[in-house]
Amino acid sequence: MEAPQIGRSVHRKEGRAKVTGQALYVDDVAPAGLLHGVTVRSPTARGIIKGIHFHPTVDWDEFTIVTAADIPGVNRVKLILDDQPYLASDVVNHPEEPVLLIAHRDRARAEDARRRVTIDIEPLPAVFTIDDALARREIIWGEDNTFKRYRVNKGDVDAALAAAEIVVEGEYETGAQEQLYIEPNGMLAIADRAHGVTVWGSMQCPYYIHTALAALFGIPAQRIRVVQMETGGGFGGKEEYPSIIAGHTALLAWKSGRPVKMIYGRVEDMASTTKRHPSRTRHRTAVDRDGRLRAMDIDFIIDGGAYCTLSPVVLSRGTIHAAGPYSCPNVRVTGRAVATSAPPHGAFRGFGAPQSIFALERHMDRVAAAAGLSPEEFRRRNFISSGETLAVGQTIREPVNMPALLDRALALSHYREKRERFARENARGGKSRKGIGLASFMHGAGFTGSGEVHLRSLITVEVSREGAVRVLAASTEIGQGTNTIFSQIAADALGIDCDDIEVARPDTLDVPNSGPTVASRTCMVVGKLVETAARGIRHTLVDSGYLSVLYDREHFRAACERYVDAFGALRATSQYQPPSGVTWDDEQYVGDAYGTYAWAVYVAEVTVDLTTWETRVDDFVAVQEVGKVINPTLATGQIEGGVAQGIGWALYEDVVWREGRMANAQMTNYIMPTSMDLPSIRVYFEEVPYPNGPAGAKGIGELPMDGAAPAIFNAVADATGAHPTHLPLTPERLMSAMETIGA
Amino acid sequence: MQPFSYEKVTNEHEAIERARLGNATFVAGGTTLVDLMKLNVEVPAALVDINALPLNQIEDQSDGSIRIGALVRNGDLAQDSRIQSRYRVLSQAILAGASAQLRNMATTGGNLMQRTRCYYFRDPVYPCNKRQPGAGCAAMDGYNRIHAVLGVSDKCIATHPSDMAVALVALDASVHIRGANGERAVPITEFHLLPGDTPHRETVVRPGELITYVTLPSGPFGAHSAYVKLRDRASYEFALASAAVALQVEGTTVRSARVALGGVATKPWRALQAEQVLTGSTANTAAFRNAADAALTGAVSRRYNAYKIELAKRAIVRALTDALMD
Repeated sequence: MEAPQIGRSVHRKEGRAKVTGQALYVDDVAPAGLLHGVTVRSPTARGIIKGIHFHPTVDWDEFTIVTAADIPGVNRVKLILDDQPYLASDVVNHPEEPVLLIAHRDRARAEDARRRVTIDIEPLPAVFTIDDALARREIIWGEDNTFKRYRVNKGDVDAALAAAEIVVEGEYETGAQEQLYIEPNGMLAIADRAHGVTVWGSMQCPYYIHTALAALFGIPAQRIRVVQMETGGGFGGKEEYPSIIAGHTALLAWKSGRPVKMIYGRVEDMASTTKRHPSRTRHRTAVDRDGRLRAMDIDFIIDGGAYCTLSPVVLSRGTIHAAGPYSCPNVRVTGRAVATSAPPHGAFRGFGAPQSIFALERHMDRVAAAAGLSPEEFRRRNFISSGETLAVGQTIREPVNMPALLDRALALSHYREKRERFARENARGGKSRKGIGLASFMHGAGFTGSGEVHLRSLITVEVSREGAVRVLAASTEIGQGTNTIFSQIAADALGIDCDDIEVARPDTLDVPNSGPTVASRTCMVVGKLVETAARGIRHTLVDSGYLSVLYDREHFRAACERYVDAFGALRATSQYQPPSGVTWDDEQYVGDAYGTYAWAVYVAEVTVDLTTWETRVDDFVAVQEVGKVINPTLATGQIEGGVAQGIGWALYEDVVWREGRMANAQMTNYIMPTSMDLPSIRVYFEEVPYPNGPAGAKGIGELPMDGAAPAIFNAVADATGAHPTHLPLTPERLMSAMETIGA
Repeated sequence: MQPFSYEKVTNEHEAIERARLGNATFVAGGTTLVDLMKLNVEVPAALVDINALPLNQIEDQSDGSIRIGALVRNGDLAQDSRIQSRYRVLSQAILAGASAQLRNMATTGGNLMQRTRCYYFRDPVYPCNKRQPGAGCAAMDGYNRIHAVLGVSDKCIATHPSDMAVALVALDASVHIRGANGERAVPITEFHLLPGDTPHRETVVRPGELITYVTLPSGPFGAHSAYVKLRDRASYEFALASAAVALQVEGTTVRSARVALGGVATKPWRALQAEQVLTGSTANTAAFRNAADAALTGAVSRRYNAYKIELAKRAIVRALTDALMD
């Protein structure tokens, strides 16, 4: 038996291939006869397409040109409401909407030709803000510009507010954020009537693309094949949009009869593909003289852009997380996703939760102040504990100890001592001010509500006669460590070494549908299936009598050989079953929203420069309970990366909109922090095993995105006395926040 | 990127003769040029590599000045002990720019010739008078948060991106240029041109001319100089506003002063009015603020860059304060 692999920082499975340049990304592949595809996009936010003009100086016969008329199946991206076309035909609904595709063997010629196509558009009135969408001066989607509404109701909020001694109101806004994966989007396709459609590319969710292409081409799903190439980061940005690029690339391949590749440049990727939903949240909170929450009335709105895409599920997660890890008898959350004339916003690490948690945690500091309590004491009095019920009616059954996380975070950050010292030093004046702030929060792992039940995820583990183990799943490695943790989980379940496990490349020809690689579900949900299937193999070998209870690698190999010789293939498949007692009512929107939650308290320490209004994060402490940690290095990396991305969202990354178009779609003017801008991020785990996760693990990927921004804003408020509410807090915004308090 | 020829030259004469043939561009560190070629903003038919020219020394001259070869790498210049002790502001300015790797490649001459970071200039999709005279300017009504408020024209509001050149302005540097007809020395303040109606003309260097040296006079500013750069993040970022200042102080009185600005003007900017305000004044925050106000007199902002006027003033005040405290 091998020593346990779980809990050890074993090396990243594909790390050697990546650092030696052997890993193949889609743009590394160039089959013979390849054409390069480009997209001609709408220059206008909204309007009627009157005509398309091809400049006469170009010999267009050399090019493959695809319009909506060339689509063999349904011109709608299959997702939730299927409202987004692959190619606009009559109307355009946002800037950069794809209208036409061009391919040529010479990439530069294709690029040049793109600029020699003019789309004539008769403009229609457009909508660019949440307020204008709500005001319905122009209806751009459905009957009322609203993609989805949710209403969570617990107790009697109105009565509690009316009776309250202290009511605190606040309004908070968050901006869009670009995922900025290192590798831009790209796809390669070979497609014809005889062989069907095959695409290779950068993606998170092979089966999303698989389903989408079958509908686009109107051919049976078994004639579609989707293969994930090495993928340089996703963060949600390669969740739904790659279906469109795969569709475009395949349409060009289908029409030309040649392999076609489409690689987005950085500007195109930033301007055209999805970003984090901008949001506005209003809070009205009642609290009693003892600092106990009496009522929370929360209005949470996200801007979905021009098409519905994933907005309903982003909204759902944001709505459920909007009241945080607190116990409150009366809670109402109204969630709305509205339409504007911008490219659709989409999946991004956290998926709506960072937006509503930012508002809540900034607001909690203000409520604490109104109740005459420190931020930490106020939270301590209101933390939810096991046996209590969340706003959606979910009773927390797992052990949860937020006060212990809080104590640990306060101690590690020297919070109390620093808060006192900074107040003293700030009073003396000088060119800068220091502050410290915290945020406490939770993040549900896996799909929301009944999502996992509907997905019915499936994985297979197979073992060869030589004892080589392969894990077959559609879950993608996008830099976060899927290959490595699946190997660790399978290795421990089989009692062998990680090196003897291979995780198959996601290729829909080979791997079953284990669901999308999203929602912090890969480790906890799919990893559990890997564990179950691998255990099944082990039991089969033991039950067959070929393997004793105690064994080494050679025994294992010998047992596999004897089993395969006797019975044939050795495979085990595992399918998702909801943990017992977990129920969700889609209609009433009540029940167990998530199988479990990760819990966390983050503390940020900042310096604000009073000359330049720059905010610098000096120290960051991240304490979280995520169940069993499978791979400490990878888990720490997830937290550090999420906090860094949260710091970018909080302070630097400002998407500037001009009539629905991103005006700063370049890395020179969309400012993301560098390592020089980041503090040391100190990461600590509490490990409380979760019975339904592999070896007790929960989800981890999204959690760290939630806590950085509110902790930083609370620290800036502590440093300056200002009440910043609008994210990102660029120097310009802090300057105006300071002007409003007369500083 | 378009196809181009490449050749190496080994002496100045050869370089100048080759460049006179037309449509050739000198390449030294390549840190700006190669990027712009990849973006199809620069499309030279020929690259003439001058890295083998013997212009990579920093030499003390008999008159007390110092002569810097055009091929001295930015990193070497910033780390030179004479520069660090006598021209500290120059060392600070260089180290505030780019990254260590870029500074190890970028040269003194190339830094002076570097082109604007205006996003519209760098993306051929947009009209740009600098790239294509008469095409129009996308920055005027575009996202012009990084653009200039001083030295602007109705044809161009692109900033000059250099940190090094701002310090050279504060140090009264001269640029030596050699052509077929010999060598001339140009004061740094006259080296870069205002955009006016011809924003595509950025310097006084004519086709076939080569920058050979930059000289720094021995000045009275060794004791009190400073560079302050304000930017959107701590590294790998161009200035939103920067100030290079040098002071000659007797007791508490400013005898003479140099104030130069970066990130806010269409060329490395000397703020003469600020220097006049400072000269003879008592060195204190009030005088520094008056000087800063004077420096930004006449600034013209557009939709997104009005904040730069106040930011530049604060950079000046902080730089003067830092310089005084040395």
